[in-house]
Formats: sequence, C-alpha cells, structure tokens
Amino acid sequence: MLAEKYPERVAKIFSKYPDKRSGVMALLYLAQEEYGWISDEALSEVAALCEIDPTQVKSIAGFYTMYSEKPKGKYWLQVCTDLPCALRGADEFYKGLCDYLGVKDGGTTEDGLFTVEQVMCLAACDHAPMMQCNFHYHENFDLEKAKTLVDRLRAESAQKQPSSEK
Amino acid sequence: MAETVTISIDGQSYQVPKGANLVDAAKLHGTDIPVFCYHPKMKPVGMCRMCLVELGSVTVNRESGKPDLDEHGQPVIRWQPKLQTACTQTVSEGMAIRTSTAKVVEARDDILEFILTSHPLDCPICDKGGECPLQNLTMAYGPGESQFLYDDKQHLAKHVPLGELIYLDRERCIQCARCTRFCDEVVGDDVLAFHERGRKLQIVTVSDPPFDTKFSGNTTDICPVGALTTADFRFGARPWELSEVPSICPHCPVGCNISASTRLDRDSGGKKVIKRIMPRQNEQVNEIWICDKGRFGHHHSLSSNRLQTPMLKKDGAWVEIDWKTAYQEVTSRLQKYGEKVGFLAGPSLSNEDLWEMRKLARRTCRDCQIGLWPATMTGLEAVTQAGVGVGTHLAALGPESAILVIASDFEEEAPIWWLQVKQAADRGAKVMVANARPTKLDQYAKCVVRYEYGEAVEVLNHIAVFARRHDKLNQTLVEGRVDGFAELEADLKGKRVPKQHSEAAELLLDTENLVIFAGNEGLTLAQQAELMQAAANLLILTGHVARPNNGLVAVWPGANMQGALDLGFSAEATVSLLDNPPSMWVIGDADPVAEDARAAAVLDQAEFVVVSTQFMTPTAEQADLVLPVLSFAEREGTFTNAMRRVQRFYMAQTPLEGALSAWKVFAQIGSALPGGDKPRISAALVMRDIAQHVVRYAGMNYTDLAHVETQFPDVGGHDLYYGGNAYANHGGLGIQWATNAEKENYRLTVRPVSAEAPKYEDLTLIPIRLLYNRDVLFEPSTVMHARIPAPYADFNAKDAAQLGIIDGDQVVISAGDLQINVSARVNGQAPTGFVLLPIRLSQLPVPAAPAMCSVQKVEE
Repeated sequence: MLAEKYPERVAKIFSKYPDKRSGVMALLYLAQEEYGWISDEALSEVAALCEIDPTQVKSIAGFYTMYSEKPKGKYWLQVCTDLPCALRGADEFYKGLCDYLGVKDGGTTEDGLFTVEQVMCLAACDHAPMMQCNFHYHENFDLEKAKTLVDRLRAESAQKQPSSEK
Repeated sequence: MAETVTISIDGQSYQVPKGANLVDAAKLHGTDIPVFCYHPKMKPVGMCRMCLVELGSVTVNRESGKPDLDEHGQPVIRWQPKLQTACTQTVSEGMAIRTSTAKVVEARDDILEFILTSHPLDCPICDKGGECPLQNLTMAYGPGESQFLYDDKQHLAKHVPLGELIYLDRERCIQCARCTRFCDEVVGDDVLAFHERGRKLQIVTVSDPPFDTKFSGNTTDICPVGALTTADFRFGARPWELSEVPSICPHCPVGCNISASTRLDRDSGGKKVIKRIMPRQNEQVNEIWICDKGRFGHHHSLSSNRLQTPMLKKDGAWVEIDWKTAYQEVTSRLQKYGEKVGFLAGPSLSNEDLWEMRKLARRTCRDCQIGLWPATMTGLEAVTQAGVGVGTHLAALGPESAILVIASDFEEEAPIWWLQVKQAADRGAKVMVANARPTKLDQYAKCVVRYEYGEAVEVLNHIAVFARRHDKLNQTLVEGRVDGFAELEADLKGKRVPKQHSEAAELLLDTENLVIFAGNEGLTLAQQAELMQAAANLLILTGHVARPNNGLVAVWPGANMQGALDLGFSAEATVSLLDNPPSMWVIGDADPVAEDARAAAVLDQAEFVVVSTQFMTPTAEQADLVLPVLSFAEREGTFTNAMRRVQRFYMAQTPLEGALSAWKVFAQIGSALPGGDKPRISAALVMRDIAQHVVRYAGMNYTDLAHVETQFPDVGGHDLYYGGNAYANHGGLGIQWATNAEKENYRLTVRPVSAEAPKYEDLTLIPIRLLYNRDVLFEPSTVMHARIPAPYADFNAKDAAQLGIIDGDQVVISAGDLQINVSARVNGQAPTGFVLLPIRLSQLPVPAAPAMCSVQKVEE
C-alpha cells in the first residue's frame, strides 16, 4: 500500500494542492513506479487516497499515455517512430530491437524484463532516432547502442544490482 | 421575466433573458439551433460543434460611444469571421446571430458527416430509432452521402454492460459526454467517465457496484443516440409502436410525473402492457428526472403472482368465490360487527380509493376508526398551516434560499428531492442537514447538525429561540394572525442555545426563503408529531409561510400518505385501533403483518379480516377474505404528493381480469349497506364527491387536474434538445391545495412542543428507510434485485468491539419478542449506542420505532 510504504511522498504530493483530488496524477505515477503498471487495485487505492470514485481515476489513467493500464516489463522501452525519427531510420531500429528481444510490436519479453512500444513524438527530434527507457531519454540512438543497453540491464537484473534505469 | 437584453436572430429583434445562452434564447422564440452535447439542465461544453452559428455584434463608435449606423439608420453588425458555438455564448445587448445562412448549413452538414463516420447504420434494430436526435438531425441537416469509406468504419463492442441496468453500445456513442456530465454535475456521483481518447474513447465505470447511482436510467433518456439503453427496455419495443400514458410514480412522496410507454403486446396475450417508464416533464415536481426505482419498479403490475379472484378462507383453506359473494360476505360482517370494525389504509391507495373506504367506514358506524399504515408519521395540522407555498419550485432555489433537512436520509427516502436540493446547494442555496448520523446530503450542506436520536425537536426549538432573541420574528404576522404566541414565548424563554445550533440558526434565518423537510428517522410517532409542530412554529414565527419556496414538507412514507391524511386517515387512529383492537378489520393495500409484529399479533386475534391487495402478502395470508385490486397502472386515480400537489394518473395497462379498482370494491360493499347509494361509475365522479366534501380539495376536478402549460425548457414534440417522445406532459401538472397561511382570513396557531428526549442508555435499534427494499410493489422488479441489500444492520465500531462482532458477521438482534437475523456492517454510519436497521429488507417484521435491543453473534 502506497500510503503505508511511502507516507512522506504521499504527504508531500497532497501538500502541493488545495484539495485531495488534485493529487491524482502524481499518485498515479507513484503507483506505476511501485507496481509497474496501473492495475484495478492501484486505481482503487489512488481513488481512496484522493477521496474520489475509481472511475475518475481510470479516466485519467486512460487519457494519458504515460500511464500503463496493462502489465509491462520492468523496463519500458518506448521508441519514437514519428516522422523525424522515421526519416533517421527509426522503423528499422524498432524492428531490429524487437527482433533482438524476440518480441512483437508492443510485446513483453518472456522474462518479464522488457516491454517495447512505438510512441508518438517525444520532443527530441534534433537527436533522432531516440527512445526512452522508463522515462529516461536515449538520444542519437542506434541498434548497437540499444543492444548494449539491453544487455547491461539484463546483467544488472540477473545480479540483482540496483538498476541504473529507474 | 427578469432583466432582458435585445438580440437579433436571423434579422429579427427579440427580448431574451439576461444570462441565457444563445441556444436557449433562440429556443424561447421558436428558433431551433440543433445540439447534441448541450442540454438545458447542464452546463454547456461546446463539444459536439453542432450548434455553430454566425455571431455578430454591434460596432460602437469610439468617439461618440454610440453604435455605428448604416444608411438605413440600422446599427452596423460586425460578423465574426468564424462560426461560434451557440451553447457557450451568453447573450449580450445588441448581439446578432444568423442560424440558417449557407455557411451555417454547410457547417452542420460537415459536423454530421464527421459524427457519422463510424456510426453504425443499425437504426432498424436500435432502441433509439424513431426518437433519436441523431436520426432527426441527420434527416434535417445532414449530408445524404459520406465522403468517408464505408469499409474503413471502426467496429467496436456493442453490448458493454455498465452495471446490470444500463448497456453501452460503443459504436453508437458520439462522445457528447451528456451521461458523464449528468453523473458529475446533476447527481454528484462521479461513477461514469471517459476512458482513452480519440476514436478509442469509451464510457467506463469501475465503481462498486458498477454505475453506482440511483439515477442511472436518466442517462439513457438524455443520450442523443442509442449508445445507452436500459436492460429493462432493450429490444423491448419500437418507439413508434408505443403510446404514452401519463402516470404518477407509486413509490415515494415526491410524486414524480412519469409516462408509461405502452403497446399491445403479443407476449402478454395481446394485452396493452407497459414496456418502459419514462419521466414526464413537470418542472415543479421532478423536472425531467426519475430515479431508478421509479423507472424499473413497475413490474409488479405485470407480475404473474397477482391475485385474480376474491378468496375466502374456509377451515384454513382458501376458496375462490365470485365478487357478489365476496361483497355479501363483507356486508353481512360489517353489519354484524358494526362498531367493532376498524379500517386501515395503505400508503399507495389513490384518493378515490381512500374516499370510498372512508365512506364505507362512515356507513358502517359513526365512529369507526380509519387508520393509516404505516403508522409512523403524522402532522397534517402542521402541514395545513405551514406547508410549502403553492408554486414552490425547488429547481429554482439559489443563494437567497435555505433548506433544512431534518431526521431524514433524504437520498433514500425521496431521491428526486435529494437531487434537487443537491443542485440547489450547487447554485448557492444554504442547505443544512440535521440528523443523528451522516447521510449523503451532508457533503453538500453548508452546515451539518448532529444530535442524538430523539433530540431532533430540540434543534428546531433552539432555532426558534435564536430567532426570537435576534429579532428574526415576523412581527406583522405574529401580531396579526397568530394564536398561542404568548404560551410559546413563555416556553422558549430562557432556553440555552448551544453554539452549534445558534450557528445553524444564523445561517438558516439569514435568507429570504426557508424550506424545511422533516422526516421521522429515530422518532416515535409522538416525537415526530412534535417535530412537525416545532417546524411549523419556527416557520410561522419567522414568516417563512404563505409564499412559494417557503414552508414545511413532510417526508412521508409512500406515494399518497398526504392524500390519506387529507381525507381523514391518521396514524393516531391506527394506534388506537391497535390499543383497542376491533373484531373486524378492513385493510386496503397495506401489509402490517410483514412490517410490525404487534400488528401481526393483533390481526391474528381478530375475528374477521378483509384485505384488498394485489398480492398474497403476509397480511393477506393471515386474513379471512382477500379482494384482488388493480395496480396504479391499470386504472385512473389521483395521488397527492407531499408538497400537497394532487396529480392524476391514467389507465396505462389492460386491467388484470378479475381484479377491480379498490374504490369500486369499497363502493360496492357500501352500496349494499343500509342507506347505501349506487356506486359511482368513474373515478372522476368520485373526485367530484371529494371536491364537494373535503375543503382542501374544493373546486378540484379531473379536467383542471389535467391542465398543462408550456414549460421551459420545452421538451415536448419535435424539440431538438432531446429525443424521446415521452417527456411531453399531456396528463396535467396537478393542483396544489393552499395552506391556511396562504388564506388571509385564517388564523394560525403555534403551541409549545415537548422536546423531552428519552435517554437511550442501552443499545437502541433505530429503523431506517432504504430506497431499494423488498416492498411488495418493488420486489417483483427482478431487474433491481442485485441492488437490494441482504438484511443488515449498521453498528458503531465501539459497540461492535464491545459485542465482539466485526463487519460481515451474522448476528441476531432481539428486540422485544422479535428475533432478527441480519449481517452486521461496521462502517461508521451508526452513532455509538445505536443500531441502524433498514426496514423491509425481508418479509419479516422489524420494530417500527426506536426500541431497546440486544445483539448476539451467530457462531458458525
């Protein structure tokens, strides 16, 4: 439970707003960070904290693409395939990444570590192609760099090291 | 009309109310601006873009400060280059709009083409087809063809349940957000919302239970397409087959105007049956809303358990008899027992039934008691003096008004009033809730007063004391027309007013209008009578009477308790009947055996009991003779709602063979008694009798009761705000009888009331009323069963801990001789020392008034 596990962070979120319902988005991020995705239980938990109906929380989680309502891997790889990135080879890069991980578009690896996904412009066109891993930007990217990143994260995960990608 | 401004619509000048938006303003003068998302009962959002118009304003010369004039001397209008949404524009002086230029016509055509890109062409099987705004507006303004590819249509789920009552068809949804805004703005239950965006957008609910609101059916009415349909009516009939019959909801004291959509139905053997219930517009009563109980609670009328022949109990077994024999059985007994006959009327008999029952009682013997069931509330005198003024309009109350709701769980007991009071609070009305426990209205109240059960009267007394001390009395009224003020003043003198109550009093008495809704939660009959008088005292002294939007409303149980009181029935008579039981009982549509153990015992001792009823209720089973009667839908009649509005209902359904109107039955019995006259041949003639004999109903007749006037927003006919053919009110707006305060030659009486509160020291059981229960008229609506809770009782956490019970435990509550099996709820509702027990969640009686109890946990 978020309120028990992170009482200070929850209190800090609420302290920023005049009423509790305004804390919903920040709490959804917290829930996603904690559980990896926004499950129905997480919705209810956030709703109870904000004292609103879970339906309203679901509406917000559904509207914003940065909340995931499906279970996903520990690392969420979002590859921009919008026009500028596509012109710099993002499509091949994305396909190569999928093949390297052995998953289809939008899929999650069997070990539950990686989820890949195409997304719309992430506002880094000057460093295209790019992707983000759990909201961290990796710019001027190519397949080799991506493979290195994936391998590193796999290794870290296997050794149960603290992740370098929060 | 209040302040107005002049605007020009298509070149014509009109006076329109200040602050109105363009759609409403144009509508007032007969110009329809098509809309999908706009709804006159909700805030405009400008989402659908259907109401685009050309908008212009007068240009003002900066030097002279006067409008520029053209060569004809007319003001020059500067038209805006782009079209504007009419719903989001508030009218202002000199504003001009054009609603039918080529530009506007093309825009509407384009908007419809977009809306229809993925709208399915399933009108032939769509419930809304035939009364669908999208259909109507497409025919009126839409393109004949689409430039979009048919094969690219998006296909989505068509049967998405939003709870067990409402289904969503995702393909048909045009994303107008009327349903979500209704839940959010009108009801305040945020249980419906948009999920995802763009073409993936979907209406969702994840509340528990899903779509958790008592008003969900209204979303299907205001849905401008067939996206939301009710589980009850889905695929039930086509709108053009339906004929609309005006009726009145038989479930609660609000008296919502409803429209029964009926048709000749093959499945029902060619009989005319109700296929659905829709709200019928009456701005002074229910506007255009009804609750789900009213909408789905009509199935009792078509139930297969209805009684169809009179039955006599012979040697413990029922024998079917004909009506003639039945009448003879009753008349001979009435003559035999004479003075030892008691009459008892239920809460849903029509005024005509009650009148004939009363006539029968008078003919039987001069002082036969005519009692009222349930015998939990009284206070006709208070209502007669200080009832709400004729023309009270809850939907118009705002910051100038205060509303006090005392001793009532308003949402459960009178949902539509709850809705209206909640909205009044949103508009700035000062709502005060006084109760011994939290209720849902608390969150909208400016002030919540908590008292201990039994102390409700004290609260009103304190407010009266405050009024006297702070010069809030209406001296003209008090000196000119009020009797008993000296005694009351002496009684109130020197009372200490707790701070909480004086704060509340300050809030309430600082406004122009004051309406008091008084219930009976946690009160005995005697206390409730005092509460009514205390409310009347307060209203009379402060002059909050004799005007619309001022006065007292009792939250009676049942649809026609007011009518029964008006016609001379009373709870006091019932008490006296139970204290001195007569040998014979005549009971009309009441079920005392299921509701009250003492009544059950008394009736068991009686020599002969006659019951008129639709169903074999526990009371009927215990009776000696049962007489089958018609439901509200199968006959004509009138109900008087708790705001004293007498309203007609009409015959909607083919009457059940074998059953008769209750008034006819009583009239037939009466006609065979010595001195009996011929029964009237119609309900209208019975009403004529009532009007002749009952002062309150003087001058009323079925013609005047059927009178209708244009209402705003005008939702009938081809109105483009709405689809649906059921809103239009052709059945009458009803007539409110005037209170004594409103009749200038009447004097008003106040008197001291006893505020003595019993000290509840032991655990005390408080019966409470829930909307969804197993009432005999509601239980047959199986579609609602999932919403009726299993019998439960609310415990305070402290008491629960002491008793060693936790939430969900099965317990036995013993009160007097009663053993009540329920599951325990411990959720912060009950105050310490009290157990809240909803009535009528099973067929077994529970105490009708506060009672001492003990609780035992059932070990598994």
